[in-house]
Amino acid sequence: MRVSGDIAIQCSGENSILIVWPEKVSRNQHQVITEYQEYINAQLPSFIIETVSSYNSLMVYYRFDLISFQQFSDKLNMTYQDVSKTSSQPSTNKYSTIEIPVYYGCDAGWDLKSLSNKLNLSIEEIISLHSNMVYHTYALGFTPGFCYLATIDQKLQLARKEKPRLIMPKGAVAIAEQQTAVYPIKSPGGWHIIGQTPKAMFSTTSSDFSSTISVGQQVAFKAVSLDEFHSLGGVVEVEKK
Amino acid sequence: MSELPKQSSLTKNQLTITKLNGLASIQDLGRLSSQHLGFSASGAADEYAFLAANALLNNNKNCAALEVTLGQIHLQANTDCTIALAGADCQAMILSLSGKQSSIKNWQNHQLKQGDILQLHRPEKMLHSYIAIKDGIQSKFWLKSRSQTFNELALAFTDQQLQVSDKLPFSIKATIDASTARFEQQLSRSKISPESFYCQQALTLRFIPSHLYISLTPYRQQEFIKQTYKILSESNRMGYRLNGATPVLHEQSQAGLSKPVSYGSIQLPSNGQPIVLMKERQTIGGYPVLGTVMQTDLFRLSQKRPGESVNFIPITIDQAQAQLSAFYQRF
Repeated sequence: MRVSGDIAIQCSGENSILIVWPEKVSRNQHQVITEYQEYINAQLPSFIIETVSSYNSLMVYYRFDLISFQQFSDKLNMTYQDVSKTSSQPSTNKYSTIEIPVYYGCDAGWDLKSLSNKLNLSIEEIISLHSNMVYHTYALGFTPGFCYLATIDQKLQLARKEKPRLIMPKGAVAIAEQQTAVYPIKSPGGWHIIGQTPKAMFSTTSSDFSSTISVGQQVAFKAVSLDEFHSLGGVVEVEKK
Repeated sequence: MSELPKQSSLTKNQLTITKLNGLASIQDLGRLSSQHLGFSASGAADEYAFLAANALLNNNKNCAALEVTLGQIHLQANTDCTIALAGADCQAMILSLSGKQSSIKNWQNHQLKQGDILQLHRPEKMLHSYIAIKDGIQSKFWLKSRSQTFNELALAFTDQQLQVSDKLPFSIKATIDASTARFEQQLSRSKISPESFYCQQALTLRFIPSHLYISLTPYRQQEFIKQTYKILSESNRMGYRLNGATPVLHEQSQAGLSKPVSYGSIQLPSNGQPIVLMKERQTIGGYPVLGTVMQTDLFRLSQKRPGESVNFIPITIDQAQAQLSAFYQRF
């Protein structure tokens, strides 16, 4: 491992290098990470197989048959020093803010009542705390199109459920710890459901997959009525007990 | 690498699953460049047996094959074709339309006649077997791979979970003269033989240490590498859960911010019992990581069953890369 300035470059396997920034959830730091990711993907395409970013880290999968770990980590480090010299301020966000309509009714927000008890907040307060904030997309993972958005209001923060649900409905809007997310497909999950959205979280062609939300993008949730939810094509999934 | 046809509509040649008792999936070398979209890299659990099966047919390295866990599958060919068997030895047999039954050998290619049924039984040792077919299974191609990932089957981008009466399409000219595959002779040579690749005793997993491992006290490091770990029954294509007598504890036991994980990451949940991430791992994980098991040892680990034992020993990145380069040169 080598530490240089604010980054630590670690070997993470025969063909992967993990670059780690200080352990904090910060929009500015994350924007530095995603800009650097874009830069190396453009500058070093012959060596790079894939890059995956998260809150404070970036994994770079590379062609170890073409370049040694030492040489490539030197190259990554030099590139980073160059980039951080030229741009002291992260540039403005290149994505526009995306708005996600949410129906926050108790039939859609399966955990609203229990959250209201646990957090000592009214359901209206939970809805307004969740929908009055603009979030930053820090990572995409878990399932295709699943985006980790942060940071939710301190008053809403709660550990994930001890026993995950086997089925979270498609479009579930949920919270856990400092994060919020939309479940793109029906899947198991341990987050608390506070509403449902009719908006698709990805689109596909026969050869391509695109996520509705991009890492680095700003996201806002907008409360909609049941009628609006229906007119947008939504169908409320009710919890089966 | 030559491109394979992406659509299967042109071929009516197929292997039909007539019996299936365990797990089977279509695998190639994986979906390596879509992890940033959240797709698992997936791919054949044991690349040694997978690559050997393709090499036995002079196939392209990335041709999709059937990965069968614990045997117990029957496949009927609707036309003549050449297949190869590798991995766990399932005492395979061919049952012909005339009722003739013949045993066939593992780590070889074989001719199937129209109507023949290939039968794999439960293996005594190891887990995964590969059934490759000349030019590969022509199943749904998605983001540069045909690999099926259990957690992503609901998306329906690849073929659905395999079951009885499913048909696996293959190309029109799917036969080769058995003598043209020279790999069989090479395989029997000691240096790359299955006997020398899979160790019979407890497997030692060589790993590249992480920053966290290096920061442990020498006593804690010794504690980790001196113990023998048992493979737990919750292990699967996604990860191998291990259990040792002494939990490995460290100051960083709080889960930090989620970070991308790689093939072979040794995760350490708060109970101090390691999990080794395998081919169907998720792209991002929250547990602290002690290091990364080198890939050639992960191929060996994928063939170990619950109850078997492993231990760990650190190596350098240069050693791990040299092993992997040498491995790929064999195929």
